[in-house]
Amino acid sequence: MSYVDIAPWRLLFVFVLLLLASLLVSWRANLGLGRQLVVGALRGAVQLLGVGYLLVVLFRDQRPEWVLLVLLVMLGTAAWTSARRIESGPGRRILVPRTLLAVGGGSALALIPVFALVVAPRPWFAARYVVPISGMIVANAMNVVAQVNERIFASARNDRAEIEQWLALGATPKQALARQTREALRASLIPTINGLLTVGLVSLPGMMSGQIVSGTPPESAIRYQIVILYQLVIVAAVSGGIAAYLARRMLFTARDQLRNL
Amino acid sequence: MLVDSSRLQLGEHGAGPAQPARAPDAACLEARGLTVRFAARTVLDAIDFSVRAGEIAVIEGPSGGGKSTFLRALATLQEATQGGVLLDGVAATEMPSSAYRRRVAYVPQLPVMFAGMVSDNVRAGPRLGGRELADDQVAGLLARVVLAPAMATRRAHDLSGGEKQRVAIARALANQPEVILFDEPTSALDPSAADSILALVRRCAQDGCAVVIVTHVREQATTLAGTRYTCEAGHLHRRGAA
Repeated sequence: MSYVDIAPWRLLFVFVLLLLASLLVSWRANLGLGRQLVVGALRGAVQLLGVGYLLVVLFRDQRPEWVLLVLLVMLGTAAWTSARRIESGPGRRILVPRTLLAVGGGSALALIPVFALVVAPRPWFAARYVVPISGMIVANAMNVVAQVNERIFASARNDRAEIEQWLALGATPKQALARQTREALRASLIPTINGLLTVGLVSLPGMMSGQIVSGTPPESAIRYQIVILYQLVIVAAVSGGIAAYLARRMLFTARDQLRNL
Repeated sequence: MLVDSSRLQLGEHGAGPAQPARAPDAACLEARGLTVRFAARTVLDAIDFSVRAGEIAVIEGPSGGGKSTFLRALATLQEATQGGVLLDGVAATEMPSSAYRRRVAYVPQLPVMFAGMVSDNVRAGPRLGGRELADDQVAGLLARVVLAPAMATRRAHDLSGGEKQRVAIARALANQPEVILFDEPTSALDPSAADSILALVRRCAQDGCAVVIVTHVREQATTLAGTRYTCEAGHLHRRGAA
């Protein structure tokens, strides 16, 4: 199957169009986001072009160590980004290893069974399958972990009196933080669940659209997308759960006292 | 006798089995060398303290003197830097924190009501241990804090400050504590509501609980007729019974 290639000058045209439209909105609404829009648009393009060239090399010289290195960089970046988004809470030295565990744990559970039993690329480290699918899953884990941590640490600060009142009645940390944990997990899972409910009705997912544009038969692209959607739910639930558990461990002392973070 | 009658009452309206009897003059709750430091600042400096069953210990002192931190440390909500607290001669660190806190209740200055009805709040402590109080037990606990049984179905967040304070005390009593720690329980109340809360505090002691209460109102210390202490600059000084 053939597809319509995008020439560089056409890409430039879209870039200019994006900048003009968004800068106009920012200027008219007095948002003050002009600089961020320009930097964001440029940085996004440069990052994607860089990744594109990296993928070219990766696909050409397929070696397991390179693929694993890319996955590790993905995980590390996701863990770091996730930890960096937390406004209040423990320092990054404490937080980053735990966000890595949460992102990595959920991603492993969502990816390994699928690569072993469902997609089953040959060889197992085939970059054109492993890298993009892992990227989507790890990105979702990153967002969920950041959201769970942000909400739980903020709640621990805002609801300190309530949490300590529960502790004073004899609650364990898990019981004392139950409402905040539940709300954080619900909030982090809702976008993924909404995605399940509205997929195909409101939007066509990016991966499926990309496959169809590049010539993959729709029925095959849809099967891939269904697998990805389920993986996104799994990673959100598992990474969110691990993040909530680790956040609780960070929030309380060994004697079940709520720390000042 | 007061202890026994209180346990009988709690057996009827409370949440669980009666606590083991102790010698009448034995210290119920003790602090030994209790020290709390925040960074370089010493908030509590090697405090020794004890309170017996049925006794009221009144802690006075200026703001920032360490009164509330002392109470929080007794409740084990504040980590001790050195020293520690003992309940019936057993170090708090030697028992699960939840077990200790069920026996040593803490009522904060501004109690937080949990979501739901007053009855949900009163049942909260026993529920944590997997026990459900019957309606008549909830009514009995509300009666102890002079609230009508009909209050049980009110939304807890809709209550007045005085009512919240009473519900918080009933909630603490539902665990059948041996010690109750009150942190300025009348600070946000009008004089008549404050008097009724002080009456409840005395009632808790009459029912056999050891009571530690923090206040900055001198008249209240006199009214409570307990053993008076002054907490200042991290030190606790005994002033004698009122």
